[in-house]
Amino acid sequence: MKNVQRQFISFIGRRRNWSIPYMLFLSFFVLVPLVLIVLYAFTDHNGKFSFTNFSKFWMQPEAINILIYSVGVAMITTLLCLLLGYPAAYLLSKMDTRRARLLVILFILPMWINFLIRTLATVALFDFLSLPLGEGALIFGMVYNFLPFMMYPIYNILQKTDPNLIEAAQDLGANPRQVFFRTILPLSVPGISSGIMMVFMPVISTFAIAELLTINNIKLFGTTLQENIYNGMWNYGAALSLVMLLLVGLTSLLNSDGNTKAAEEGGLI
Amino acid sequence: MRAITKQKYLRAVGMSMLLMAVLTLFSSCKQSDSSRKKILKIYNWADYIDEDLLTEFPHWYKEQTGEDVEIVYQVFDMAEVMYTKIALGKEDFDLVCPTQYIIERMLKYDMLLPIDRDFGKTGNYLGNISPFLLERMDAFSVPDKKALDYMIPYMWGISGILYNTKLITAEEVQSWACFWDPKNKGKILMKDHYWDAYNMAAIWGFYPDIASGKRSRYDVSNDHTDGDIAVVEEQLKKLKPNLAGWEADFGKEMMTKGEIWMNYAWSGDAVWAIEEAAAVNVSLDYVVPREGSNIWFDGWVIPKNARNVKAASYFLNYLCQSDITLRNMDVSGYTSALGTPEIRDAQMDTALTETVNLSYFFGPGNDSLLINPIQYPDSSVVERCVLLHDFLDKNDRVLEMWSRARGDNLDRRMIFIIAGIVLLIAAWPVYGQIKKYQSKRRRLGKKS
Amino acid sequence: MMKRILSSSYLGLLLVMLYAPILVIIVFSFTEAKVLGNWTGFSLKLYTSLFQGGKVHSLSSALWNTLIIGLSAAFVSTILGTIAAIGIFNLQPGPQKAFRMINAIPILNPDIITAISLFLLFVSLGISQGHATVILAHITFCTPYVVLSVLPRLHRMNVNLYEAALDLGATPFLALRRILLPELKPGMINGFILAFTLSIDDFVVTLFTIGNEGLETISTYIYADARKGGLTPELRPLSAIIFITVLILLIIINQRAAKKPNLKRI
Repeated sequence: MKNVQRQFISFIGRRRNWSIPYMLFLSFFVLVPLVLIVLYAFTDHNGKFSFTNFSKFWMQPEAINILIYSVGVAMITTLLCLLLGYPAAYLLSKMDTRRARLLVILFILPMWINFLIRTLATVALFDFLSLPLGEGALIFGMVYNFLPFMMYPIYNILQKTDPNLIEAAQDLGANPRQVFFRTILPLSVPGISSGIMMVFMPVISTFAIAELLTINNIKLFGTTLQENIYNGMWNYGAALSLVMLLLVGLTSLLNSDGNTKAAEEGGLI
Repeated sequence: MRAITKQKYLRAVGMSMLLMAVLTLFSSCKQSDSSRKKILKIYNWADYIDEDLLTEFPHWYKEQTGEDVEIVYQVFDMAEVMYTKIALGKEDFDLVCPTQYIIERMLKYDMLLPIDRDFGKTGNYLGNISPFLLERMDAFSVPDKKALDYMIPYMWGISGILYNTKLITAEEVQSWACFWDPKNKGKILMKDHYWDAYNMAAIWGFYPDIASGKRSRYDVSNDHTDGDIAVVEEQLKKLKPNLAGWEADFGKEMMTKGEIWMNYAWSGDAVWAIEEAAAVNVSLDYVVPREGSNIWFDGWVIPKNARNVKAASYFLNYLCQSDITLRNMDVSGYTSALGTPEIRDAQMDTALTETVNLSYFFGPGNDSLLINPIQYPDSSVVERCVLLHDFLDKNDRVLEMWSRARGDNLDRRMIFIIAGIVLLIAAWPVYGQIKKYQSKRRRLGKKS
Repeated sequence: MMKRILSSSYLGLLLVMLYAPILVIIVFSFTEAKVLGNWTGFSLKLYTSLFQGGKVHSLSSALWNTLIIGLSAAFVSTILGTIAAIGIFNLQPGPQKAFRMINAIPILNPDIITAISLFLLFVSLGISQGHATVILAHITFCTPYVVLSVLPRLHRMNVNLYEAALDLGATPFLALRRILLPELKPGMINGFILAFTLSIDDFVVTLFTIGNEGLETISTYIYADARKGGLTPELRPLSAIIFITVLILLIIINQRAAKKPNLKRI
C-alpha cells in the first residue's frame, strides 16, 4: 500500500502529468463531440456515408463567397484590434499594478452587460449619431466586442516582461524605437498570437452582430452555419463546421510555430 | 513524515470532491416514473400565456380528476430551435406550441401523439375552436392520421404590411408593388423568415396568373415546384436591393422610431407596434395587400416522448374555455383560435366606426361587428390569404434558393483581393520554414 | 509630461468608445418607453417593476441561475486550467503542440457547434440536462481561455526559482504554493474573470444544454423575450444596476488595496 502511495506522490510530483486530468476532460467533452460532428458531416439525410455535404459546399459559390468575405472581415477586425489594443496594453503595462488592474477590469466590464443588449445599444447609438448601419457599423461592432480579447493576453505578457532586458537594450545604445521593435515587440509575440487566435476565428462565427448592425444585409459564415442547423439541415451544418475547423487547424499550425520559437528564443535581443 | 500526511490529506479532499461532483451529476439523472407522472412539462413561446394559469391549473385538475400535477414551464425563442431540440434530443415535453408548418412536419415524421379526448365528467371545451381553423387544419392530415386528433390551434393571425401613415400613403400599401418600388428604396424591412418571403414573392410573381384565375393562391404558395422556386428566387433577388434590411425581431422597434416606412409583420405584432408607436406620437397602421398573403396559427401538440398525455390533454381542454382564453389574449396580444360568443363580446369595441364581417369565424349572423380589424380580419381579407404548408422534401432546395437570393452581396474583385491577402499571410510562415531549412542545410554543409 | 497626456487621452478615448453604448443603456433606463431609443420622459417605473413579474418565467430566477452557473464554471475552469497549464508547460514540444491545438478547439469553434455537439453528447449518454450539464458545458469553453491566460506567465517565469526552492529542501507542494502560484496568480485571476464573463454572456451553448425543466439564464431569458414583444425594457435598469454595482465594488477594492503597500515587480 505504501508503495502505491509513494508511486502516486511521485506521479503527481512530475508536473507534466498534471496535464492528464485536463486531457481526459478534453477528450470527453471536446474530442468525442467532435467525432459526433464528423459523423453527421459525412452522412446524408438517410444516414448513409456520403460526401454530398462537402460537394454541396464546393458547388455553391455563395457559401464560399460568404466564407471568404467573413475571413476578410475577420482580418480587418483582427488588424484593428491589434493596432488599437497593443498600444493600450502597452500603456497599461507601464502603469503601476494597482491602477493597471483597475483599468484592465474597466476594459472587460462592458462584456458583463449582455451581448444582445450591448449590440442593440450600439444600434441605438448609431441611430442617435445618425450614422448609417452597414459594413462600417459591422466592423465597429466587431472591434467593440473583441478588443478586450486582444488586449488581455498582450497585457498579460507585457506585464511579465523583464524590465532588465529593456534596460540592457538601452544600455547597449538602442534608441527607443529600436528598443521597442527589437526587444519588446518580439518578446510579446506569444501574447499577440494568443490575441489573434481569440479574435480571428470567433469573428467568423459570430452571427448576432452582423444580424443587428447590418440589418441582416451582410451574412457571415456563422450565420449560414446557424441557419442550416436551425432549419434542420444538420448534416450540411456539421460539414460547414468541419470546414471551419480546417481553417482553425491551419491558423493554429501557423500560430504555434511562432509561439514555441519565440518562447525558446526567450530573452534574445 | 509530515509531508506525507499532508499528501494524504489533500488526496482525501480531492477524492471527496470528486465523489460529490459525481453524485451531483447523477442526481440530475432521470426521475422515477411515478413522480414524472405527476409533472406536466410545457414548452411554449415567451409571453404567450398568462402565467398565473400555470399555478391555477393544478387546482382545477385536482378538482376534475382528483390527481395532483405540477407544471414545469420552459420557453423558447425560435420555432426552429424548438424543433431541433425535440427532433435531435428526444426531449420529453408533454406539450409544445409550434407554428402550423412545423406541426405538419412533426405529424408527417411521426413525432406526435394523439390528444386524449376522454375527459370523464369534465366538459369538452375543445369544440370551442372556430370551425374556420378546424377546417383548414384538416389539410394537414396524413394518410393514417387526422390532423384534428393531434393538434389544437392556440393563436392565429395573418401577415401583412405595417406602415407609417405619415410617410407612405394607405393607397400605396394596398399592393405588394410598394415593396419593389424603387421610390421606397432603403425604407422597407422584410422578415428574415423564408416561409413568409416565399409566400409573398410567389403571390407577387404569379399575380397575373392568380388574377386571371389560371392558378390559385393556394397552389402558388404550396406547390413548391422547381419552376415556382425559380420565380420566387427571381422576385427575391429583385427585392433585395430595395430593402433597408431583413429583420427577425426588431422590425417593430425600428418602425416605432420612425425611420422605416414599411415592415412585413404578423398581425399580432402589429397590434403591439401600433400601440407602442402611438405612445411616442408615431402613427402606424396595418394592411394586407390586395394580391394576398398568408394565415398562420400556432397550435398545441403532444410530442412522441411525452410522459403525461392525460394532464396534457386536460390542460388543452382547460385552455379552450372562454374566460381562460381571454386572459391569454390579454397577456400575449394575439388573437385566439376560439370562436365563442363570449370572446366575441369581450373583444368588441364600440369606439370603432367600421364594421368587420366575421361570419367566417364566429358563425352566421356576425357580419357587422365593431371589432379591431387587425386582430379579427374582415372576411374579404381572409379570402385572399392562404395557409402555408411546410416545404417538407423541398426544404433543401428552398433553403439553397434562399441563401442564393440573400447571400451574394460581394463583387468578384473583393473576393480576389481577400483571397490574395490570405494566401500572402499563409505564405509567410511557409517562407520562414523554407529559410530555416536552407540555413540549417548551410550550417550542416559548413560543418562537414 | 506630454507623453502622459497623450497616453491618458488615448486610453480615455478607447474607454469612451467602449462605454458609449453602455451609457445609452443607462440613460434610457430612466424612461418608460418599451423601445430602446425612444424617450418618453423621465421615469423610474422600470426600476420599480424590475423584480416583479411572473414567478415561472422570471428575471430574478434567471439572474440567480446566471450567477451560480457563472461562478461555479469560472471557479472550476480556473483550477482545472491552471493545473493543465502547468502540465502542458512541462510536456515535450511534440505533445505540447498537439495539446495546444486541441485546447484551441473550443475557442475557435463556432459556439453553435460546441452547443450542438455537447447536446448530442448528453443526449446519447442519456444524461438528463439541467444545472450540471450547463456548468459542464461552460467549463468546456471557459477552461481553454484560462489555459491561455496562465501559459504565457509560465513562459515568462524564471524556472530556476522553482528548482532553487526544491534544492533548498522544499517539497514539490510547498514550492508550488510559495513560488509557482504567486507567479501565476495574476494569470489565474485574469483567467477567472475572463471565464466568468464568457459564462454569463453565453447564449447558444446554454440554450442547448439547459434541458426541459424550465431553467433559464439571463441570456436565454432575453432572447426568448426579444422574439415576441421586443426587448424587455426592464433589462435596461438591470444592466445599469449590474454595471454600477460592479464599478463601485471595484473602486472599493482598489481603495482597500491602496492601503496595503504594493510590492512592485522585481
